Amino acid sequence: MTIVSTCCPFGLSNVTKCINFVQIKEAKTMVKYNFKKITVVPNGKQFVDIVLSRTQRQTPTVVHKGDRICKLRSFYMRKVKFTESNFNEKLSAIIDEFPRLKEIQPFYEDLLHVLYNKDHYKLALGQVNTAKNKISKIAMDYVKLLKHGDSLYRCKCLKVAALGRMCTVMKGIGPSLAYLEQVRQHIARLPSIDPNTRTLLICGCPNVGKSSFMNKVTRADVAVQPYAFTTKSLFLGHTDYKCLRYQVIDTPGLLDREIEDRNIIELCSITALAHIRAAVLFFLDISGSCGYTIAQQASLFHNIKSVFKNKPLVIVCNKTDLMPMENLSEEDRKLIEEMKDEAMKTEMGASEEAVILEMSTLTEEGVMFHVAMPKSRDDQERLPCIPQVAGEKEKRKTEKDLEDENGGAGVYSASLKKNYILAKEEWKDDIIPEICDCHNVADFVDSDILNRLEELTSEESLRKAEEEEVGFEIEGEELTEKEKNDLAAIRKKKALLIEESRLKKSNAQNRAAVPRKFDKDKKFTRKRMGRELSSLGLDPSSALNRARSKSRGRKRERYDDLSNDAMDVDVNDDEQHKKKKMCLRSKSRSLSRSRSVSRPPHEVVPGEGFKDSSQKIKAIKIGHKSHRKRDKAARRGEADRVIPSLKPKHLFSGKRGNGKNQRR
Amino acid sequence: MPQGDYIDLHRKRNGYRLDHFERKRKKEAREVHKHSTMAQKSLGIKGKMIAKKNYAEKALMKKTLKMHEESSSRRKADENVQEGAVPAYLLDREDTTRAKVLSNTIKQKRKEKAGKWEVPLPKVRPVAEDEMFRVIRSGKRKTKQWKRMVTKATFVGPAFTRKPPKYERFIRPSGLRFTKAHVTHPELKCTFCLEIIGIKKNPNGPMYTSLGVMTRGTIIEVNVSELGLVTPAGKVVWGKYAQVTNNPENDGCINAVLLV
Repeated sequence: MTIVSTCCPFGLSNVTKCINFVQIKEAKTMVKYNFKKITVVPNGKQFVDIVLSRTQRQTPTVVHKGDRICKLRSFYMRKVKFTESNFNEKLSAIIDEFPRLKEIQPFYEDLLHVLYNKDHYKLALGQVNTAKNKISKIAMDYVKLLKHGDSLYRCKCLKVAALGRMCTVMKGIGPSLAYLEQVRQHIARLPSIDPNTRTLLICGCPNVGKSSFMNKVTRADVAVQPYAFTTKSLFLGHTDYKCLRYQVIDTPGLLDREIEDRNIIELCSITALAHIRAAVLFFLDISGSCGYTIAQQASLFHNIKSVFKNKPLVIVCNKTDLMPMENLSEEDRKLIEEMKDEAMKTEMGASEEAVILEMSTLTEEGVMFHVAMPKSRDDQERLPCIPQVAGEKEKRKTEKDLEDENGGAGVYSASLKKNYILAKEEWKDDIIPEICDCHNVADFVDSDILNRLEELTSEESLRKAEEEEVGFEIEGEELTEKEKNDLAAIRKKKALLIEESRLKKSNAQNRAAVPRKFDKDKKFTRKRMGRELSSLGLDPSSALNRARSKSRGRKRERYDDLSNDAMDVDVNDDEQHKKKKMCLRSKSRSLSRSRSVSRPPHEVVPGEGFKDSSQKIKAIKIGHKSHRKRDKAARRGEADRVIPSLKPKHLFSGKRGNGKNQRR
Repeated sequence: MPQGDYIDLHRKRNGYRLDHFERKRKKEAREVHKHSTMAQKSLGIKGKMIAKKNYAEKALMKKTLKMHEESSSRRKADENVQEGAVPAYLLDREDTTRAKVLSNTIKQKRKEKAGKWEVPLPKVRPVAEDEMFRVIRSGKRKTKQWKRMVTKATFVGPAFTRKPPKYERFIRPSGLRFTKAHVTHPELKCTFCLEIIGIKKNPNGPMYTSLGVMTRGTIIEVNVSELGLVTPAGKVVWGKYAQVTNNPENDGCINAVLLV
């Protein structure tokens, strides 16, 4: 609507007139509803899920505590506003797409009222509207509050509160949404009846034959059954007559009741009768096989004749095959005459025949529209013309014909080898082996195999001939005795060298020259080595020393120097020897291969708290004894590394975006 | 059957596909595995939501199973002692009650005099002044710092008008002013949205009470005429005290518990 500027030179009254005119014009343009294109109404929980996940995906997700306060505020305000706008959009879509009862055809308005109850429908839509307004209000309030948020935590709490309140509002309208979804599903399947075109309306008591007439005349496949109320809603069909398309509406049967007592099904048909401007065909069952006598049907007719005002009415007497018109009793005939008079009143100046019809839908007698046959123009007979060629063609005997002749599909099996082309005819039925000598015959099959064989044989014969000509020597000269011995000696030496190098290599890794698996009984001791060497006539002492030094700690020499220090004179030789022994035996010395020895362990340092060296030695002994047993048992001590949790959760849990969790 | 129900109509006329039931059964059986892969593969918030839903289902299932496993067993019943039951050797004595029967109003008056009320939140975290107020710089060169702006929820009465801006020391922003509170009745367990009449006491100090600041633990007076309470004398009660139970500046609303 364009706003007319007030500084128009024509004056205020003209302006108001213009505005009024525009408003009136707008009221006349009605909204077009398409019942089949209403968007799905999600249920309350799904609605909340959809909107919240949208917010989570389409707004930035990361914010840091150290950011400026305006950035934090705007981050959270954006989320609140975004959520609100999404809710708004979806709820508005619902409100716009569902038809407003005041703005649609009165026929549809009544139909919807009959089917869904106008009040309930309006209430549901009203609730959706209030929810929309509430959500807008919530968003406005919380955005105002967010402007005063001074920390990340406070802004976050406010955003959580805002979104939570919006979702609670949606939870409240859950039942209305469920109802609207049901309405939508039903309304989309209603037949699209056009209230403005040429229409024929079929009504009458239940089971009189309305649906069968409908089936005959149109292509609508309406269920026809022997019981009453087979048709439970309006059915729509189309038919052509004299190049014009007619709409035929089949209604459920009506019972002779007061309008207040009528159920929904009957009210549908009443609505259709009331609102649609159509020619009404009132069906009568003359035979009474529907379960209602002609009298009952006539009373129904008179009850609803008020609805037939201004509509062309035709009385149709159906089921004439069961009871022809002539056999009707007097009272029945009178009743029918009465109805006919009524019908004539409505028909504006029509002839008597048009008002009443007799028909039988079963035998198709009297049914007005029948298969159109082209009327013969003249008396010439025209036969169908078949061209000559089509008749002459000789039909070839196909495999299928053979099969049929010989007993059909299950009995006859076609011989696939019939058309093989082979050198000899009797080979056709031979069985071909598949495996020969553990090989697949198929791998060796070759169509040119005979030719190849010939070629190969010729080649072979040529080669043989060549070979015989040349005749070369295979081996070299014969070796002499000496040379043979030398060769053997060289080979032996070579083997020895190889062994030596291998030994060297193995010893380079500090492995025992004789690995334990060959020495289980521990026979290879130093003593044995000494014995064997002396038996050979060699001096074993240096070898023994070397063997010993390699298996133990190194620096005995230095201590020897120390002990032979001239300064330390007062020390007794025995003591020295004992200390030496102690020293040699003590674990700390033997296991550590350190180069420097700072202090002998039995030496008393003033701060330690020992009276003299013997006490210290005793203390050392007791200390060693205390943990000797446990060490032998190889149990974990205080100094050993402890892993507090063998399977920490953060290393063994969690999903991956791509990749596997098989090993972490 | 309505004209638009094509699927049902086709089914009625032609029946189902030959393998329809087989396929349906197999598809439903596969759903379980599909659900499981989806639950294992989904990352992020979606995965968490699925896990939460699954856990809730599992807990419910366990409960129902346990319920089914319950069997009616006969156990020895401990005879509960009835109140007022007295052992046999005391039966002949008369019970003397030594309580003073006082009327409710006198009790309340005494309590008020003592200044002690039984409140749901006896102790609250103290709020420091720098948390409560924000310093506003004013003056031509923005050097004067005597103005303060309140950062918590406040209540100003209906007849409130601001002092001239030049002289007002405490600014109460209109965005943080609340007039209504969500008050829960502790016995009825239902919540009403009631108007605030005034602030009775803020535990952080008398200055805050006079300013009208509402923090957690503040005692406010609310208009309970909606509830329709009546005194024993027959007068209608229209104002009652309630204590604030949440942090209004974080939630955007005031939740309070009625003091009965």
